[in-house]
Amino acid sequence: MYMIRSIIRPEKVNGVLAALLEAGFPQITKMDVFGRGKQKGIRVGSVEYDELPKEMLMITVNDDDKDEVIKIIMDNSRTGDKGTFGDGKIFVTEVEEVYTVSSGKQGL
Amino acid sequence: MKEIMCIIRLNKVSQTKEALYEAGFPAVTFTKVFGRGKKSIDQAIAETYIHAGKKVPASYDESVSEKGRLIPKRLITLMVSDDKVKTVIDTVLAINSTGSPGDGKIFVLPVKEAYRVRDGKSGMEIL
Repeated sequence: MYMIRSIIRPEKVNGVLAALLEAGFPQITKMDVFGRGKQKGIRVGSVEYDELPKEMLMITVNDDDKDEVIKIIMDNSRTGDKGTFGDGKIFVTEVEEVYTVSSGKQGL
Repeated sequence: MKEIMCIIRLNKVSQTKEALYEAGFPAVTFTKVFGRGKKSIDQAIAETYIHAGKKVPASYDESVSEKGRLIPKRLITLMVSDDKVKTVIDTVLAINSTGSPGDGKIFVLPVKEAYRVRDGKSGMEIL
């Protein structure tokens, strides 16, 4: 199993959530985060913004579904055709064990 | 070293915190998160019950909110040594298992490196 953590623009969240639901991945966790990337934030005139608001989406999937989910998130969180700086990042981490709290059973 | 991430109901947060403290895991991080699970949920059913002043029966819990809506939850993150993973999972399950869908999930992830900020030490001794 893999945990896919993506940091995307807040205005893209609804689109990604709808697309994931449609593709059969309703399970997701969302949290508010602030960060900067390689471009060191945004500079507007003499004002520098280095803590930009983003949303982190966390979704755990089976090995076979990993690439599909990454593609859905990527396609739906890009700005413009080629994408723009600040569209975000996707991190993939291995998950060793998963438990469902209501039943205590192991597995997704 | 393992990272354990638990997503739990808001009304179980303080009990879980207490239980983890007593089980010897005082070092925990709590995050406010929103999420949805695999079950699709129908808001109309819950509303008829709430308007009638009744408690929603457990069998309807899975259909308590609209499809795709995000529900507020609490995410607990803690780092433990490999042999303590079982204890933490049992502690969290004991408090949070009500048997209805929506109780949450527990994820166990491997951690390669960890450092203590105060003195820069790394490895198991920082836990």
